Amino acid sequence: MDQSLTVPPSAAHPAAIADDLPPPARQRWLRPFKTDRKAQFGVVVLVLLLVCAVFGPMLSPYDPTETSFDLTLSPPSLSHPLGVDDLGRDVLSRLIVGAQVSIVVGLSTVAISLVIGVTLGLLAGYFGGWIDFVVMRYIDLQWAFPNFIIAVYMVAVFGTGLWNVIIAVSLAYLDDFARIARGMVLTIKQEQYIDAARTVGCSHWRILLRHVLPNAGAPLIVQATVSVSYAILAEAGLSFLGLGVDADTPTWGLILAEGRTFISRAWWLGVFPGLFIMLTVLSINFVGDALRDALDVKETG
Amino acid sequence: MTDHHDRSAPPEVAAMQAAWDDAHDFDPRDPLVGLSRAEMSGPQISRRGVLRLMAAAGTLTAAHLLPAGPARAQGKAGGTLKCGWAGVGQITTLDPARMNQVLQFQITSNVLSGLTHINADLIAEADLARDWELSADGTEYTFNLREGVTFHNGEPFTADDVLFTYERSKNPAVSIHSRALGNVKGIEKLGPHKVRFKLAGPQASFLVKTTERSSGRVLTILNKAAIDKLGEAAHGMMPVGTGPFRITQHTLGQSVVLEKFDRYYDPERPKLDRVQIQPILDAEPLAAAIEAGDIQLIGGGQIAPELIDRLVANKDLVVTAQASPGFESIWLNPHRDPFKVSSFDKPIAELMKEKGFMVRLAIAKALDRELFIKQAEFGRGTPAHGSINPAMAFYFDKELAKTSLQRFDLAEAKKLMAAAGYPDGKGFPRLKVLLTPPMRRQVEVVRAILKRNLGIEMEPVVKDIPVALDEFSTMEWDMVRIGSGGDYDPDDAIVDWMQTSSLFNGQKRDKAKYPFGYFSDKEADALIEQQRVEGNLEKRRDLVRKADRITSDKVASAFLYHPATILIHRKSVNFPDVSRIPALVDLDRTTLA
Amino acid sequence: MAGYLVRRILGALLVMWAVATLVFFMMRAVPGDPLAAMMFDSGDPAAAEDLRKALGMDVPLVEQYARWLWQLLHGNFGTSIYGSQAPVRQLLAEALPRTLSIAGLSFVVACIIAVPAGIVAAMRKNSPADNALTLVAFLGLSMPDFWFAILLIILFAANLQWLPAIGYSPLSEGFWPWFSHLIMPAIAAGTTFAAIIARMIRSSMIEVLKTDYLRTARSKGLLTWRILLVHALPNALIPVVTVMGIALALMLAGTVVVENVFAIKGLGRTLIEGILNRDYPVVQGAILAVSAIFIGSNLVVDLLYTVIDPRIRYS
Repeated sequence: MDQSLTVPPSAAHPAAIADDLPPPARQRWLRPFKTDRKAQFGVVVLVLLLVCAVFGPMLSPYDPTETSFDLTLSPPSLSHPLGVDDLGRDVLSRLIVGAQVSIVVGLSTVAISLVIGVTLGLLAGYFGGWIDFVVMRYIDLQWAFPNFIIAVYMVAVFGTGLWNVIIAVSLAYLDDFARIARGMVLTIKQEQYIDAARTVGCSHWRILLRHVLPNAGAPLIVQATVSVSYAILAEAGLSFLGLGVDADTPTWGLILAEGRTFISRAWWLGVFPGLFIMLTVLSINFVGDALRDALDVKETG
Repeated sequence: MTDHHDRSAPPEVAAMQAAWDDAHDFDPRDPLVGLSRAEMSGPQISRRGVLRLMAAAGTLTAAHLLPAGPARAQGKAGGTLKCGWAGVGQITTLDPARMNQVLQFQITSNVLSGLTHINADLIAEADLARDWELSADGTEYTFNLREGVTFHNGEPFTADDVLFTYERSKNPAVSIHSRALGNVKGIEKLGPHKVRFKLAGPQASFLVKTTERSSGRVLTILNKAAIDKLGEAAHGMMPVGTGPFRITQHTLGQSVVLEKFDRYYDPERPKLDRVQIQPILDAEPLAAAIEAGDIQLIGGGQIAPELIDRLVANKDLVVTAQASPGFESIWLNPHRDPFKVSSFDKPIAELMKEKGFMVRLAIAKALDRELFIKQAEFGRGTPAHGSINPAMAFYFDKELAKTSLQRFDLAEAKKLMAAAGYPDGKGFPRLKVLLTPPMRRQVEVVRAILKRNLGIEMEPVVKDIPVALDEFSTMEWDMVRIGSGGDYDPDDAIVDWMQTSSLFNGQKRDKAKYPFGYFSDKEADALIEQQRVEGNLEKRRDLVRKADRITSDKVASAFLYHPATILIHRKSVNFPDVSRIPALVDLDRTTLA
Repeated sequence: MAGYLVRRILGALLVMWAVATLVFFMMRAVPGDPLAAMMFDSGDPAAAEDLRKALGMDVPLVEQYARWLWQLLHGNFGTSIYGSQAPVRQLLAEALPRTLSIAGLSFVVACIIAVPAGIVAAMRKNSPADNALTLVAFLGLSMPDFWFAILLIILFAANLQWLPAIGYSPLSEGFWPWFSHLIMPAIAAGTTFAAIIARMIRSSMIEVLKTDYLRTARSKGLLTWRILLVHALPNALIPVVTVMGIALALMLAGTVVVENVFAIKGLGRTLIEGILNRDYPVVQGAILAVSAIFIGSNLVVDLLYTVIDPRIRYS
């Protein structure tokens, strides 16, 4: 379940990707999306997903919580394109609303671990000394636990539920961001313009926010992209173990976990949610890969 | 409830007719149904006695008149039976003093013995006892023990083992079931193979609840030398008994291996050489395993109901359903709005004037139990209106479904809600319902039914089992979805759940804040106490039914359903009817084709 | 070198101690009383107290911690408090070979998919072959692993009946029983990492291909598969070794869900069940085992790396 791509600080190594000198910024961003089929595919899927998430309630043909017991386990049909589940709810409507919840889970998880992780990483890298020591020991410590196990443990502490799952998963994955941020700061700190800013009398905060952070952005963006997919998968894994969100919030993970025992009796319950998750994660990874190529991010995170 | 369809040669019709006539040949007004007390003493309550009692209860069916015993031995002796135990990741302990799950009893019932063992009709039969005698006042049971019985470690079985087991089980630090010996004053060794139990008062359930071997009962006979040699922990994993099988290997979370015990007291049993039991937590892999033939029989916890129809459709499998000894309920906290009832000790007519009671009753009446069973359990189960379950055929009250105040009546339920100030659910608070992970689907169905029928919303709160049980006993909740299993005797239901002092009735509550737990009724308390000591089965049955009716009418809980036990095995396994003891998987007569 | 080694090992031990301490106290912060569930049926509060005393859970937390640490230093992990009372060391000793078997085999599965995928992706960027192989490699990463595992079971066990659906058979009972039980778990856990390793190989291959020697060979059209496999690949694998070490360690954790599906009681499931039952000693022991493997493999990989690539200094 644990798909961290991160390499521990001690094992970082050089392996750049770009074949030639980087072209101007805007082109750099867009270039892979023009040529790379995988990236194009990813973008299309993600845009569709966003549309679902934003206009979900308007798009979904039925109320996703409405149970019609007469229709229980009806196969896909014109009126219910993806079939009806074991409680008589329309699967398509649930998956559309689930898209919203899954995106909320994915984005908030990444937002939380990004903010906390990057803050820790920036402070550690920039100030060094005891702050660095403490943060690094914490990261080492978290590194010694598999991320998914941390998430399971956190849910045990906080209890199940949407926000508890979000907090649990974001805490489990924040060390990746901290490590990247710190590494970038250490590199950027050597640059002349930072020295210049310091001699001009800029405050630490200003230097960190205006000069360091923007330059550390590229790898963080890549990491953040990929982390969204971990969050979606981690949520599914937690739901499978019965540690996910409450039944009130239909995430894809929950829909799939609940549908899995029906897979041979009513395949649409066990197959469609899985396909939705798979396509989304696949798309995120394709886009992440394209960004990595485009932004010339080293293959460490 | 049993639906066996594969009955082969019909038994002698004439003999059946004679048995049927004899069973019904009594004066319906005679409380003892024409039976003498002698017929109620053991080696078992006579077959004639059982049939008469069942006929009197109206539960006698032609199926009961089929010849008993392993009459249709289809398979040969020998072979290895591979079993999957559903819904469990590991068999944590097999020590009868520590076990509390049916899926554990199912294993030990093949390994350990008691003085008695229940049969498929839940009647106690002689096991390690050869026979027994009950004193006239009903307080002394004298058992003659079977001679020539050997433990798996070679030690002979004697009265000392019964004494040792009694002492061990009585100690609450060792046994979580010590309370079940509360009514036993003492035990006396009358000879190497004779013991006498002295009870503080008569106890109708003694032979089923106390001396029975299977359901973690307190007198599942163990051997001191074996425990001393292995140590408590190792013995807890591989207990040594006198049963038909001995445990030769127990790899936690992976498998329990049973092997035929050559010196079992009945040379005819067991037939199998070896039984391998694998715990399988997830439902789909379990179904795949029996379809693929990796396992041949499924025991253990409940099988996900949605998979059963698929297995029924499989020609290589035999699926039989049977009433399971238990009840499932939705508990409503009488100390909180909107279910508030300051005291249940008043006539129904007066309770009916209280808003809290109206709401309780409205919820119970709005529970469309047939629909619930169809939707949540795919049609397997029996609607419940009380705690006495249909597996206890003799005590089960079929009429309750028609006469209980709790019976499904939507118009009446809506009226009650309106009278309580919540017309169509308007203004009704969104209540939290506490449940454990396996209950999720069921609670979704209950929510949908109550939302549709009464317009009320519930919010499920899922907690792990240790947390949920703890919280349930503190009374700090709105609603709880929990139930009971392994109830073979009425005491298991009404003594353990329905009395003010019951085991589960708010043990950990703040006693200053809450004078009682989820339910307390003086009349019910008294009836339950009376039935507990009543030796006459007919009279006991009436008391049990009365108590059951009060707890039903006064909504001790909104009773939901009695689950069904589903036994699934491959065609190659011959699992005879005589072994079909509700909720157990006794493999001593099982053969492989 | 020796000094570096000692420092690294000391550092690892320090982290292990911190892990142990953290887990000890954090486990007790989890709501829920392990004894409550066990003693629920007894309904006797005194009995629960007796048991608490017998398990040494009645003394102050700090004292419990000190006792546990002292025992730990003597190699005693304590005993499970929930039900079995089995020694934790025994539980771990039973679980470890199962998890290592799954992790080892899934590593092999991952490499079988990833190495060709990575090479082709580097050589023929954005070709149909690259796209197809990348897709395969990424599919594993994209599917929730319990779902993938169930699909495998339905196909290969329930329908085709080629492989046993569930369970584990120790190697001592024969190679095929062991192997056949592990094929599906290994595929389910291994494909997850195929994408990661494929991506590593791809990027380091691109680096290697940029070296003068290979660039020349390429421009002269002399770049044969033989040169590629004999000269380029080994160089490309150097940085990959580090990630493979990490991936192996990650796979140990990744088997959590897979073990649950296939009813194999490995480290992951031991850990999850321990957490759910609030079985403190089991969780503590299992976490220590997992993190020891993590930290240990990390250390070994680092040392290995310095051997393979002497440019890395011991700093």
